[in-house]
Amino acid sequence: MALVDVYAGPERRIASVGDYFALLKPRVMSLVIFTGFAGLVVAPGHIHLLSAFTALLCIAVAAGASGALNMAYDSDIDAVMARTATRPIPMGRIAREEALMFGWWLSVASVTMMGLFINLLSAALLAFTIFFYVVVYTLWLKRSTAQNIVIGGLSGALPPAIGWAAVTGQVTLAPIVLVAIIFFWTPPHFWALALFRSDDYARAGVPMMPVVAGKASTRRQIFAYTLLLLPIGLAPAALGFAGPLYLASAGLMSAWFLSAATKVLFERDAVKEPAAKKLFFVSIAYLFVLFAALIAERLIDIAPFGAWL
Amino acid sequence: MDDDDIKTHNARERRKRSIVLALVLGGLVLLFFLMTMVRMGGHVLDMP
Repeated sequence: MALVDVYAGPERRIASVGDYFALLKPRVMSLVIFTGFAGLVVAPGHIHLLSAFTALLCIAVAAGASGALNMAYDSDIDAVMARTATRPIPMGRIAREEALMFGWWLSVASVTMMGLFINLLSAALLAFTIFFYVVVYTLWLKRSTAQNIVIGGLSGALPPAIGWAAVTGQVTLAPIVLVAIIFFWTPPHFWALALFRSDDYARAGVPMMPVVAGKASTRRQIFAYTLLLLPIGLAPAALGFAGPLYLASAGLMSAWFLSAATKVLFERDAVKEPAAKKLFFVSIAYLFVLFAALIAERLIDIAPFGAWL
Repeated sequence: MDDDDIKTHNARERRKRSIVLALVLGGLVLLFFLMTMVRMGGHVLDMP
């Protein structure tokens, strides 16, 4: 049963600009823009400022389109989860079909623009990202396996490679490492959220890891993925496309991440899950600081890019 | 919220939506023009 009542009077409120904006999942979009921007900035080579802006706009619109399609296809799940019940579709402010049209048109427009104005590789990667998020993750994995966010995380991990491809027209080891950082960051990040929202997911019938395997198993898996993530997070410095600022930032953030994940592993309060809540925010800070350090190094030009040119 | 409030709200939102749509379309026209110039590069002035 839906948590919210849909207004059903003779005159209905039409959707506002804010409702359409909410359909684009602006918070997710901001992270995608940020990591895409990092790929764009770190990539060796030159891109015209307007082309860079257009590439970022396409990445942002594609991320928004994916969000709208996700909200449309998952509106039944959203309606029974407290966290998502106030989204525009379950609230009855935007029809599901309208959101589908909105999302698919934005998808086509963003990929077409990327292909016309930037290059075909970045357009193809953008199309693959939308396909993977909407079809593979939303329509298939999310409802069928506890590994949903592990595999589906690839779509959220690709923006740095798209940004890199927009500048260079190719994908090399460096952008793959950036993709790997986000890919291995996703399970600890989302499972931390799932630990303190497990009732919500259970009510909606979404097979998130704590619902399927239990909280103890999820804690161990969060810790295991954290151990996998930390060396990958340091890899940009080891491989030579990041410098001392990145190394110092990644080292400090890795220690904080590991500490938070260890607290989750030994958490005793399975009701309030304070350690999981903290890890959720630490994980966001970790990703932000790593990519901000990469961007900062490139902008102040202290990264050893000579080796790449 | 009664019907009159909703009618007023809807009229205001329609206007706002129209303005935003116009701005987006205008922005796209400008972006397409400028990107075409960028893609053509310096050769844009080399017409016979």
